[in-house]
Amino acid sequence: MSSEEALGSTLSHWLSFNWLLLPFVMLLVTLVAAFIVVFVLLLYMISPLISPKPLKLNGAHVVVTGGSSGIGKCIAMECYKHGAFITLVARDEHKLVQAKKEVEKCAINDKQVVLCISVDVSKGYNQVESVIKQAQEKLGPVDMLVNCAGMSISGTFEEVGVDSFKKLMEVNYLGSVYPTRAVITTMKERRMGRIMFVSSQAGLIGLFGYTAYSPSKFALRGLAEALQMEMKPYNIYVTVAYPPDTDTPGFAEENKTKPLETRLISETSGVCQPEQVAKVVVKDALQGNFTSAVGPDGYMLSALTCGMSPVTSITEGLQQIVTMGLFRTIALFYLGSFDSIVRHCMIQREQSKAADKRE
Amino acid sequence: MLLVVAAFIVAFVLLLYMISPLISPKPLKLNGAHVVVTGGSSGIGKCIAMECYKHGAFITLVARDEHKLVQAKKEVEKCAINDKQVVLCISVDVSKDYNQVESVIKQAQEKLGPVDMLVNCAGTSISGKFEEVEVDRFKKMMEVNYLGSVYPTRAVITTMKERRMGRIMFVSSQAGLIGLFGYTAYSPSKFALRGLAEALQMEMKPYNIYVTVAYPPDTDTPGFAEENKTKPLETKLISETAGVCQPEQVAKIVVKDAVQGNFSSSFGPDGYMLSALTCGMSPVTSITEGLQQEAFVELYGRQRDSVFRSSWSSIVTVFGLAALGAVGLTIGAYLAQK
Repeated sequence: MSSEEALGSTLSHWLSFNWLLLPFVMLLVTLVAAFIVVFVLLLYMISPLISPKPLKLNGAHVVVTGGSSGIGKCIAMECYKHGAFITLVARDEHKLVQAKKEVEKCAINDKQVVLCISVDVSKGYNQVESVIKQAQEKLGPVDMLVNCAGMSISGTFEEVGVDSFKKLMEVNYLGSVYPTRAVITTMKERRMGRIMFVSSQAGLIGLFGYTAYSPSKFALRGLAEALQMEMKPYNIYVTVAYPPDTDTPGFAEENKTKPLETRLISETSGVCQPEQVAKVVVKDALQGNFTSAVGPDGYMLSALTCGMSPVTSITEGLQQIVTMGLFRTIALFYLGSFDSIVRHCMIQREQSKAADKRE
Repeated sequence: MLLVVAAFIVAFVLLLYMISPLISPKPLKLNGAHVVVTGGSSGIGKCIAMECYKHGAFITLVARDEHKLVQAKKEVEKCAINDKQVVLCISVDVSKDYNQVESVIKQAQEKLGPVDMLVNCAGTSISGKFEEVEVDRFKKMMEVNYLGSVYPTRAVITTMKERRMGRIMFVSSQAGLIGLFGYTAYSPSKFALRGLAEALQMEMKPYNIYVTVAYPPDTDTPGFAEENKTKPLETKLISETAGVCQPEQVAKIVVKDAVQGNFSSSFGPDGYMLSALTCGMSPVTSITEGLQQEAFVELYGRQRDSVFRSSWSSIVTVFGLAALGAVGLTIGAYLAQK
């Protein structure tokens, strides 16, 4: 046999073998792909049947701590627009009265009431307990508690006042523990309820300048995860909101002492309006979603840091599984850029110090 | 063509592994180093002190109870490897007041020199249902576990920044990565340590100060025995999924990671999985750690606490196997043709 014939027969042998195998492989791959698609679609369809039933805001009693300004006030307004009865809890009576007027403008019927009670939610449990008792006597059992009382301080670790660490933890963390503790027994009896904690994106990542603030917001997440695990059989759903920098009086206060590095790092995500945050957060709380994030970078951050947080829908879980590797890669680049911002600022500061010394 | 690409990727990853040590922090030399251990009179703290002492460090033990401190000092001194080593004991409540802690650190630095490594191990644990834990426990837990780590860190940081070197360790817990039933008072305090560590590391990185957060599992210590007294049944059952380990083992791993400058220190295979899963925005100290985290989460996805966990994982396994089978068949067929 000549070499060409040998080659030709080998070739035709290879081709015939190939042609037999190719459609078989294609069929298998298509079947598997179709199966996966059908399965995912099925999950999306049955997902509502397993998720919590949304809370009806019309006629519900919503307590908002820190409700006299900022995000808390906007959350109160958002709930009021849906027919809820609001109890605003804050320290400053004057601000409460102002906020009450603003919230009342959003009324949709005549029966709605806004109650104002002045107390420092971080001072002691007994005060908070009696405040909640008052509110429940006037407006009925609490359907949803929004823990929005909080403050923020930005500064380098050595420059932040030492008492700030304790202060922030008291206001942001204990000021959420006490109201939650006060409403939880009634919610457990009624087998229904929503508890919201307003954390922050700084409660998902520790950033330069937030050594006093981040821990208090991280703590809220730990509390929420543990609490949700205990409350799930009672049909009480916990939501943790992670808003970004939001244009509020608290934010203006924080900016007064904010170091340059923090400003530069924060520029990667923008500042948003409290009304937007309130809309998203209330929607997620009603739905019973554990994690509430605002915006695309908020979504990425919360998916990346989901860790052992619960999911309320299978689709949320699927999304987290698929995106985590990619998001971690992106996150590492972000961290690298933050580190270089910090390094550059440090070098500049040292250089200017050296220049000052020479003069 | 495929093989060439695969070979290229493998070579690239190998290259990363090789250059990784050049970018990672230089390990701290424990021999002659001054290590301060808060909560060093018992449990994990004491074992960490012993582990460092075995490597030639000078130890300052900080705790409240003077009697326990003296006992611990005797035990630590048994691990000496040379005559120069010293164990200093100072009694203070690290959660009470910053000024007290500052003066304690000053004392220690006058006697044993500037602090090279600070181990924040002072902490306590309580387990119980949210409505059953006493209300002031929430505050107490946060003070001891969180503020009791903030104050010593604050006291040593200025000197470390001047010397452009240092290690700061926070002993968190696996409960600081996941909030579990029965830990509504404990988990937040341990989560807070992570937030502090991440923010602190970002500030301290240019100064060659490395922060390590340890996430030990249930460890056989007096603190753990205390916690078990009020532990609800649900928590006991959930905790059975991970075992109880010995403080000596934990100390070994934790000291190794701190000396290396690794941000996350976890123990055991489930500890590794938990810390990789919850890595979130934590820094990595080696490229390989980052790669592993990405590969890991893609392979193992997430654990879920919902009722779907068991059925979900079996479904995923079936699909994974089917997909692998299809790919394997294709490759096998391709190779068989050659």
